[in-house]
Amino acid sequence: MRSKGRSRFIALCVAPAAILFFLFMVMPTVNVFRMSLFERGAYSPTETFVGMSNFKILFKDTKFITSMQNTILLIVTVTIITFFFAIVFAAILTREKIKGQNFFRIVFYIPNILSIVVIAGIFSAIYKPDTTGMLNNIFTFFAGRNIEILWKTQPMVIVSIIIAMVWQAIGYYMVMYMASMSAVPASLYESAGLDGAGRLTQFFQLTLPLIWTNIRTTLTFFIISTINMAFLFVKSMVAPGMSDVGLSFMYAQKDAGLYGYSMAAGVVIFLFSFLLSALVNKVTQREVLEM
Amino acid sequence: MKKILSLLLASAMSLSLLAGCGGAPAPAKSNNPPAGGSSTSQGDASTPQTPAGPIKLAALSSGYETTYPGMWKEVCDAFTAETGIEVELTLEKNLEDVIGPSMQGGDYPDVVLLATGREKGLTEQFIKDRLMADISDVLSMTIPGESATVSSKVMSSMVGTNATNPYGDGKTYLAPMFYSPCGLFYNAGLFQEKGWEVPKTWDEMWELGEKAKAEDIWLFTYPTTGYFDAFLYALMYSVGGPDFFNKATSYAEGVWDTPEGQQCFDIIAKLAEYTNPVTPAQANETDFSQNQQLILSNKALFCPNGTWLPGEMAEAPREDGFEWGMCALPAVKAGGAGASYSFLEQIWIPSGAANIDAAKQFVAFVYSDKAVDIFLKGGAVQPVNGIVSKLEGDNVMFYSIYDSGASAVVGIFSAYESVAGLGTVREVFLDPVNALVSGQLTKDQWVSDIKAASDQMRANLVVK
Repeated sequence: MRSKGRSRFIALCVAPAAILFFLFMVMPTVNVFRMSLFERGAYSPTETFVGMSNFKILFKDTKFITSMQNTILLIVTVTIITFFFAIVFAAILTREKIKGQNFFRIVFYIPNILSIVVIAGIFSAIYKPDTTGMLNNIFTFFAGRNIEILWKTQPMVIVSIIIAMVWQAIGYYMVMYMASMSAVPASLYESAGLDGAGRLTQFFQLTLPLIWTNIRTTLTFFIISTINMAFLFVKSMVAPGMSDVGLSFMYAQKDAGLYGYSMAAGVVIFLFSFLLSALVNKVTQREVLEM
Repeated sequence: MKKILSLLLASAMSLSLLAGCGGAPAPAKSNNPPAGGSSTSQGDASTPQTPAGPIKLAALSSGYETTYPGMWKEVCDAFTAETGIEVELTLEKNLEDVIGPSMQGGDYPDVVLLATGREKGLTEQFIKDRLMADISDVLSMTIPGESATVSSKVMSSMVGTNATNPYGDGKTYLAPMFYSPCGLFYNAGLFQEKGWEVPKTWDEMWELGEKAKAEDIWLFTYPTTGYFDAFLYALMYSVGGPDFFNKATSYAEGVWDTPEGQQCFDIIAKLAEYTNPVTPAQANETDFSQNQQLILSNKALFCPNGTWLPGEMAEAPREDGFEWGMCALPAVKAGGAGASYSFLEQIWIPSGAANIDAAKQFVAFVYSDKAVDIFLKGGAVQPVNGIVSKLEGDNVMFYSIYDSGASAVVGIFSAYESVAGLGTVREVFLDPVNALVSGQLTKDQWVSDIKAASDQMRANLVVK
């Protein structure tokens, strides 16, 4: 009697989330797959079944291939750079005695709460192509001659996006690692120190293995969010068509009146991100260490 | 007790979640069954007499509204006062994102003010998919509150091109709402100071380019590649006249191999060499005004744009003695005519609209003297006869551009069925200009891409 009431209660509690998840996640996803087999305009009520033809054209579309290459390039470089700096900064801020720790923590975190439009505005000042731009100005100061790098155009455009994305993401992940690093008991470091382990050895032998679970989770999380963020950065920062990523290609097709084709691109990106996260999850699997 | 409390909390949570989903009110459509509701109704069937209910107007909030806030509201009120039909106004800068999703769900505004040639291409999609109501009869309608008909007021040159009659069957689907001559904007003060003449031909243009280079000023810049549409239209017209223009805009076979076609590409490619190299780095939604700023700070001489530019840059810092100047595109040969494209914003009715008859009355009303005067306060100029004499300020100079012999160019690239992998006119013709300027793309590659795409566009024309 008691357990029946209990399970009914649990079902009731879970129901809203389950219903919403089904309505707004499962249904649209299924619909994306279905629509990728049809061709229709975004506003047109009629649709024609075209089978796999959207996918056949998609894999021959050089624009799509370039945009997926850009996506992969961004995922790889942004992930490596962000994780490197986030872990190093987190280690420094938790393990070392530095004045103004909290100050740095906040400063690094701020980019994460800014909206993408604000970030685009900030970087338009940083990347201004003449010597009044912040980056060019700094380079000019150190080089002693006028340096005018055209940041947001070819060939520097992808570098500009990488820098902005890393800048935006570091703080969030740094705070995450700081939390898990401070959970590592100080006594472990003390005994390691007594055994003669230096700072670096402590970092690689103690800190990294002990926060590995955290790194794994955030890595999967980060890869998926990079696919989305790359789209937002490209959309708001650079000229259309200059360095398309997967999702911006998808949107451009919708605007060109090819709803089914853009959904086919959506399907490919969906599968791609799904497989990539599974792969990363597999590759980073280690024996979980207990503290 | 505890359980009841948590149950209450849980249900409160679920209710509040669901309340969020119920946000979009279902429009009351029961009184007009044939319209838009079911996804199978192909628009044209939905023109029976409908009661003149409130109409939904969706308009792009552009620079005009910024100049005179409340402009659209005032027009709507005037319309209601005249006809008794209420107007629900949706006025947004990103109109496509606001009305797009509900239109996908079958809920259409009755009147839409949104031009062709925008990045999101919503109007083009409505043309391609034949989702617009035929409004040819609006031309012969009497304007509400006046005795004149619409066609007696609208400039005849503005009706009948493929910008209003996209299918070339003599039927009008888009009404010409605002027009604005596009041309090259420059600092007239600088020209006076240096003693330079505004070039009449492209040869003079290149000469000026060299002179300016000696003074560390670049000849050319552009806000974004999107602004090349008006530029390209005017260029094609001035190079080859109306005949070539019509062939080119319908992607006629071999049109890009003709001397005229080659000349167009040559001029743009040469212009790319004279373009301030920072331009492509700023040719995006965030920074385009920095490119316009190049004109104000004498770092580039010419910038293609429309009459809204001085308003857009009103607050921007400028060099001493700065004064706006605007000219048509130079002629190809000495003694030839330059050209200026008339950028036309269209107003149209989706065929799925609920109140097409009332909507038509609204479209007729925008040409009334009352509406014209209200729109003029925002600097929005409508293509009605005698409008030029009503203009004030900079607009007098801008709109007199055709008086000095420049040809007025109206019309757009013909609509073609969307084909996967083909790309839009902007993607094929205009966006690569960035790469031309930064040297990532050669002219030959650009032209051969255009030719290949043109063949596909021609094969898929909506009206063959």
